[in-house]
This record gives sequence, C-alpha cells and structure tokens, in this order.
Amino acid sequence: MSVTENGLLERDKDTMTLNMGPSHPSTHGVFRAVLEMDGELVGTAKPDIGYLHTGIEKTSEAKRYAHVIPMTDRLDYLNPPGNNLAFCLSTEKLLGIEIPERSQYLRIIHCELARIASHLVWLATHALDIGAMTVFLYCWREREEILDLNEEISGVRMMTSYIRVGGVAQDATDEWLRGVRKFVDHFSSKIDEYEKLLTKNPIWLDRTQGVGVMDRESAINYGMSGPALRASDVDFDFRKKRPYSGYEKFEFDVPTRSEGDVYARYLVRVEEMRESRKILEQALRNLPGGDYRNPNSKVTLPDRDKLKSSMEVLIHHFKLASEGFTVPKGETYVPIEGPRGEVGFYIVSDGSAVPYRVKLRAPSFMAIPGMCKMMEGSFIADVVAVIGSIDIVMGEVDR
Amino acid sequence: MTSEEIIEKIKSELAGDILSAETPLGDAVVHLEPSALPKACEFIKNDPELDFDYLTNISGVDYLDMDREPRFEAVYEFHSIDKNHSLRLRVGIEEESPSVPTISHLWKSAGFPERELFDMFGIDVAGHPDLRRLIMPDDWEGHPLRRDYSLTTEDIAFSFNRDYKSELVKKKPQTR
Amino acid sequence: MGLIDSAVDALETEVNNLKLNAQEALEAFEYESSGAVYDSILTTQLGKVVGWAQKNALWPATFGLACCAIEMMAMANSRWDSARFGAEVFRASPRQADLMIVSGRVSQKMAPVLKLIYDQMPEPKWVISMGACASCGGIFNNYAIVQGVDRVVPVDVYVPGCPPGPEALLYGVIKLQEKILNEAGTGSAKKRVA
Repeated sequence: MSVTENGLLERDKDTMTLNMGPSHPSTHGVFRAVLEMDGELVGTAKPDIGYLHTGIEKTSEAKRYAHVIPMTDRLDYLNPPGNNLAFCLSTEKLLGIEIPERSQYLRIIHCELARIASHLVWLATHALDIGAMTVFLYCWREREEILDLNEEISGVRMMTSYIRVGGVAQDATDEWLRGVRKFVDHFSSKIDEYEKLLTKNPIWLDRTQGVGVMDRESAINYGMSGPALRASDVDFDFRKKRPYSGYEKFEFDVPTRSEGDVYARYLVRVEEMRESRKILEQALRNLPGGDYRNPNSKVTLPDRDKLKSSMEVLIHHFKLASEGFTVPKGETYVPIEGPRGEVGFYIVSDGSAVPYRVKLRAPSFMAIPGMCKMMEGSFIADVVAVIGSIDIVMGEVDR
Repeated sequence: MTSEEIIEKIKSELAGDILSAETPLGDAVVHLEPSALPKACEFIKNDPELDFDYLTNISGVDYLDMDREPRFEAVYEFHSIDKNHSLRLRVGIEEESPSVPTISHLWKSAGFPERELFDMFGIDVAGHPDLRRLIMPDDWEGHPLRRDYSLTTEDIAFSFNRDYKSELVKKKPQTR
Repeated sequence: MGLIDSAVDALETEVNNLKLNAQEALEAFEYESSGAVYDSILTTQLGKVVGWAQKNALWPATFGLACCAIEMMAMANSRWDSARFGAEVFRASPRQADLMIVSGRVSQKMAPVLKLIYDQMPEPKWVISMGACASCGGIFNNYAIVQGVDRVVPVDVYVPGCPPGPEALLYGVIKLQEKILNEAGTGSAKKRVA
C-alpha cells in the first residue's frame, strides 16, 4: 500500500497477503504459512518453520546413547516407538549386534500399535479440520485403549522409550498380550465405523476429491514419502523393500492409489490401519519364546538377580550405568517406515560412549515444500484439507 | 544392484572426479570434492542403471572435535525407487568460507535441507534460489550445530553431576 | 552506668522499630482498603458470585505447541471430559478465551508469538503452564528453549509431567478453579481486571 499525493491509499499489488500464523486451530503444531491470495485462490504459499526448534540434535551430542532415546521420543511425538526403533537400528548396525527373534516381534507389535495410534490422531484432526467432529471423539476412544496398553508395558502413556538398544526394555507379560489380542479383535469393526461416517459421505467427497493433487514425478522429486507417496501411484514401503526387524516374515499388503489427491491419501491411511491390524494378529499368533534383548552385557543391562552372585555381571552393570556402552567409529543411516513416511537417523560415531552427530531424517520436514506446492492454485478452504492430509508433526520438522 | 556394483559403476564412470569410494557396513559411500558434486549428481540421476531419482536426506557434520580435515562435510543420501538401492555422497568442505554447489535444480527435495545446512552450519550453498535462515529466527547470530557453539548459555540451577555438566556451560553473550 | 545506658539505647531502638513497623502496617492497611467501596461486605459477596461464574466457565484458547497438546486434546475428549468442568469449547481466537494452557516447549522464535497471544486475551485471564517444558524448560536445557514460560507470561498453575496425563491437567484446572474462588471478591481479583 502506498499513499498518493492527495493522501489516498493506493494498492501496490493485486494480491492479499494472509498470514496463517503459528498459532492456529488446525492443531498440527506451530506451522506458519504466508499465503498470497487472489480473492479466494491461493497464489503462492511460503512456509515458515522453526517455531518448535528444540535443539535436540545438538543436545544429543552431549548425552550417552541410552539417554538419547527419551529425546528421540519427543521428536515425532505421535510415533515415539518409531523414532526409538530408527535410532536403535542405526546404533545396532554400528555396534554389529544381533537382535533375538522375540525382541523383534515385540518391537513390531509396539511399532504397529503406534502406527495405528498415529493414524487415529491423523484421522481425528483431519476430520475435525474439515468439520466432522464426531470422528474426533470416536478415534480417541480407540487411541485411549492403545495408550492403556502402552502404559501397562512401559509405564508411560505416550513417550514409552520401550525400544532400547539391544532389544526392548522388559518382557511382555501374558496379560499384556491378552490386552493386545482384545484390541485387535474388535478394532476392525471400529475402522468400519469410521469408514461408514466418511468414505461415501458426499460432503467429505466434495471437500477431498480433486484437492491437493500431486502426480508421480513430482512426488518423487519433492521427496514425499509414506502414504503421500503411495497415494501418487508409487509402490514403495520400507517394510517390504528393505525389511527390518523381522518384517520379512509377515504377510501384508501395501495399499497404493493413483489419484494423488487428499481423498486418495485418506483411503491409503485407512487401509494401512487395517493392514497394521493384520500384522498385529500374525505377530500375536507367531510370537516366539526366548530373550527379550540381546544378552550381551556389554550393551544391555544384565539381570538384576545375577548382580549378587557374579563379579563380571557387576562390573558390566557398573560400566553400563556410569559410562555407557561405546560404539565403534563409523557412520550409518537405516531408514524405516513410519506412519508419516521414511524415518531414519544418520549417526556419526567417534568411538566413544556419546554420539558425535545425530541427524533425523524427518518425513514431515521433507514434505513441507511439496505440501506448499499442492496448495498453490487451490481455494483457501483447501489449504486446511491439504495440511491435514500430509499429516505433518512440527516436533520432527523443527527438531 | 548391490552396493559393490554401484561403487564399481561409479568408479568406472567418474574416476577422475571422485576422491574415494567404499562400502562400510554394507552402504555404498562415495567421497567427493564440492566442485565435482553437480556433475556426479547429474550422472547418478540420469544413468538408467543407477536411476537415483529420490534424494532423501542432506546432513551436515562438523568434524572440529575429531580433528579431521576438511572441517565440514555435507552428506547426501539417495534412494532409487524402481531399482531399490541407495547411495551416500560425502562432500568435504573447507573451513574458510565454506561453500557447496546446490543440487536443488535436479531434486526439488534439496531446497529445505540446503537451507538448513546454511542455517545450522553456515555453509553457503551456491546457486540456491532462496538461501536464508530456516529454523532459527531471522536475526539469530551464530550457527548452532557447529561444535564451537556452546549448547547452553545458562548455568543449571541444580544437578547431581554438576562437575560433568559444567564444562558444557561457557560464557556467551545473549544473541537476542 | 554503662549497662543502664546500653539498656536505654536498646529500649529506644526497639520502640523506634515498633513505631516504624506500626507505620508500615498502617500504610499497608490503608493501601489494601483503598478500594473501600469494593471491599464492603455486600460487594465481597458479589465478588464471590462473579468468581463462581468465572471459574465454572473457563474457556481455554488453543495454544497447543508440542506433545502436551495431544494430552490436552485427550483431556477434551470423551474419557476425561473437560466440558463437565466448564471448559466447554476451545476457542480459536484469543479474544474470546480466558484461559491459556501453554502446552509444550516454547522456543526462542515462539516466545514473542506467545506474548502477543497473551496480550490479545481480554482481562481477566489465567495461564496454566502444562508440562515440564513450559514450567521450567523440561529436559531441554539449551540455547533453543525458553527455560520456563513464566519468563514471558505470569503463570497461575504449574502442571508437572512429560507429558502430564489428562487427569493431571484436569486436576490443574480444578486447582485453578479453587484459586479463582479463593481470590474472588478480594484485592487480587480486582488487580486482574484493573
């Protein structure tokens, strides 16, 4: 705006700058987008991030490996076990240790429960933004059951830190497994309930079909991952292509769709919830006995009852509790499939008990430029739908 | 292609441009000079056998405390969607006016991570369309992930292991 | 003779101290009772009614920052229903809210935004600092996190936890309601609206 000689205001440009500020009710965290609007149409969308920067990567350079795991919980706070698993896989690759089979199955059960919980939050908030508030209340009902299971096995509802380097924190009791069984048995009817509310709903179809389209080439070039990539006709899932932690023993499908719009992403994620339920069923059926962690006392804490009788166990326990285990020099990156896409930790080790550099590859961070590209040319109301469909979590974007 | 085959192909085609290539722990890793980066990236993207169409991650590392020359390093991770293999490029960057050419014209997913390289390490990315701070506030001084930037500026009020932590606290003027 | 003199000196200083204390006490009493009309019996009862109404209809502003926001959403949901305690709707606009639950870690870039939102809320307003990061910086003692949101806004109730369970946050809201009722009709409540 500028002032003419007569003192009247004059418009410099034809577009209006709308600030979708860091505090806005779409509850996807503190994400700011500066939108250049031409009426109701969005011209360009410039993202502004950093409002949740916590300095976790730098703090991890001052903590021992076991102490970094609770920090990784708080990165993508809707999927703490996934972050834990990614960190542990990278560390275990550097250490060169094997994980027992029972421990792998327990990790898979925990991660798939977290995937379902994360997708439930996605569905709840996405539907709430578009206007369907009932789904918000329904989804949280199931999520509370999963959080109760978390609390039973690890003591904490959300930031479980159950997956540790070398295995898991403690063995699963029969009671807990019965609880998982009970959840798995009735969950499929609940997904049917959500689908009954939304999938053929004309309002939902109008708001989500044809909105935020991204074609295959752009999706790959922009670095999209996870459901956003699979909804654009790319069949790529790390659980199938680079199986980790025992996923090769499970039978499940990877849902893909080719339209690449918000509705396609919705369908892909709902199908993923069903597939996760299938994986959980198989894991419960085939759960082997054995160790719940690698018994190598140089990495994992030994059993407490042996502390009183064996000197060697005492020394190992002391070293692990005071200095921590040392990781050989090297660097590695192991990607896993999180609910939002490819999660991985690039860890550089200098041979000491403290990691030298920890870098998280966050799927939401890489998805933001692609998301802003999707918003361009759409209406202002579609911006909310697009942000909800990509399912960003600002904890991992800003780290 | 396995990691060894990828390394063989790259060594045979780009022999003069790369410094070294190896397969530690089963990953394919190639070390480069910054000036050779655009040519190598074009090759790995357009070659039909390698077909690295997906740039997944760019990390920066500051090797100050490991006493290694050059001081900085930018690490690029690539995946191939169809061929299902990965590659890591490690580009060593000098300490004096650190700079690395951009690859955002080849992969648009490089836009944000290269801005983060600039923001967190002070590595200038030559040719980037919009190089400014990404995560820290616009008027922040210093580059936080460098090893000589202190982690915290205040003394901890109480700690059981005070001696171990006090070396993390150095006197630094407030930047805001 | 010296003993008696010193005793007289001691007595004099004591009496002077008593006089000064009495003077200070008188000034304090006058300051407290300066809103004499407000503090009469009738208006104190009226203040209590106003406080009762305020506490039973605390509308939070959505200020979910990080992980604690998810537990705040859980508090608003069907299992730990915060609507039965009066927090019926989470208002998106700070101008329509009177409670700000700072849930999550406040980074250096977010602190001015926090202050701006707080300033936009109309009086009377209350702040609950939810979680360890909002109360004291939490597990992140570094360059990027404000060590406690009470460096930016005045806080009424601190809820510890990482994240605090919804039942803990609900207990915090109930404690805030007790605080409002205790303060109602007194000078502290008057200061909020001033």
